[in-house]
Amino acid sequence: MRQSPSRYASRIHPLSFVAIVSAAVLTECNGAFAHGIGGQDAAFVAGTRGPDLVPFMYLGAKHMVTGYDHLLFIFGVIFFLYRLHDVILYVTLFSIGHSITLLTGVLLHIDVNAYLVDAVIGLSVAYKAFDNLGGFKSVFGVQPDTRAAVAIFGLIHGFGLATKLQALRLNSNGLVPNMIGFNIGVELGQFIALAGMLVVMLLWRRTASFERSSVEANALILMAGFVLMEYQLTAYYFGMKA
Amino acid sequence: MTEGQIATPLSAIRMLAITAGALVVASLIVFGAILPAEFNQDPTGLGRLTGLGRLFAPRQVAFDVSASAVPIARDFPTPFRTDTIEFPMLPDGNPAGGDQLEYKVRMKKDATFIYEWSVANIPTETEFYFDFHGHTLDGNTEMTVATYKQATGTSQNGALTAPFDGIHGWFFQNQSLNKVVVRLKISGFYDLVEPGEPGNESHVIANVPAEQALGKK
Repeated sequence: MRQSPSRYASRIHPLSFVAIVSAAVLTECNGAFAHGIGGQDAAFVAGTRGPDLVPFMYLGAKHMVTGYDHLLFIFGVIFFLYRLHDVILYVTLFSIGHSITLLTGVLLHIDVNAYLVDAVIGLSVAYKAFDNLGGFKSVFGVQPDTRAAVAIFGLIHGFGLATKLQALRLNSNGLVPNMIGFNIGVELGQFIALAGMLVVMLLWRRTASFERSSVEANALILMAGFVLMEYQLTAYYFGMKA
Repeated sequence: MTEGQIATPLSAIRMLAITAGALVVASLIVFGAILPAEFNQDPTGLGRLTGLGRLFAPRQVAFDVSASAVPIARDFPTPFRTDTIEFPMLPDGNPAGGDQLEYKVRMKKDATFIYEWSVANIPTETEFYFDFHGHTLDGNTEMTVATYKQATGTSQNGALTAPFDGIHGWFFQNQSLNKVVVRLKISGFYDLVEPGEPGNESHVIANVPAEQALGKK
């Protein structure tokens, strides 16, 4: 049967979402950098002496908009947030969380294994998808505070950002401004990505099949979270250093 | 607070089924595809079956060439040798290949050779590219790579002291529209790589005229 193109285009099929996620996961999963900062960017950071705000902002933004783990988590968080002020509240909680650990992690040289942090970040993606479908209430009979959860996972994501930045052997000359520049960039990148997600969600929620496809989509986010977690754990197990 | 969830929560049974399904699919992806392709591990055998395992390549670790320092006078356990290697290269973009070739020799750390190579019949110097480099051989998940010189040009002469045990030599690429012959002379303390082995995968035979140098593949 031939489907009318306009009808086909108006419905955002969850499978297209899966295709995007798996493509992102598969192309980014190179052994060298499990979503880190690599190649010439790493060389740039290692060679920087003194404050260099704008390039570091760019690196922070780039890390965020190409960071499928952070993006999937944010996507899960805003999935069922229908009011703009709720979106702003949750994203702010997430930003405060990750800024705290990004800044203190780098300043205090807190050395956490990047793979283990990334595994917990993968778990946070799965957690949010499970939570979105009401899993905690129906399976365990308790509902953890969703605001507290996004703030706590924000702290974990910040440790992930801190380990990536520290792995680059940041020079102490200009450390604070460069780190803050990176942090500002992360927020800008997050804002850009968030704007795109909100547009997609607005269109998607208008479709008649949203209720059903939202279950499928969260099941897929759950699966993607498990993939990220298992991938990071196996990378940790095989001892490939970030 | 609990905003931001689905309007009608799923039942416990459906929730458990979705979670179990997600775990199974995720594990299939990780153990069936990512492990063979990224870590050279194939617990399910799917990596061999699908060819995904062939995607695996050791991670390259750059070696800082400028940081190496060796004594000026030193002894070598291997005998001194001299080889002349000549081979033809086909015009750029030849559908059958043959417009690029890699030739390396095996060296111990701190061993030295002197060399000269040249290629004739290249209309402009920028139409011939070379990458003079070395890398380790034993790495399973990573290998150390030292880049000595990457440039275009039609000749080079100089010396190399190997920064580590491994294979060291040239990748040549003919970017001109002519069929050319490269002539390379090496003298020093090294071993030739047998045709077909890593470093000489184009099956170059040393010390024979260019037209006989490319053996059977």
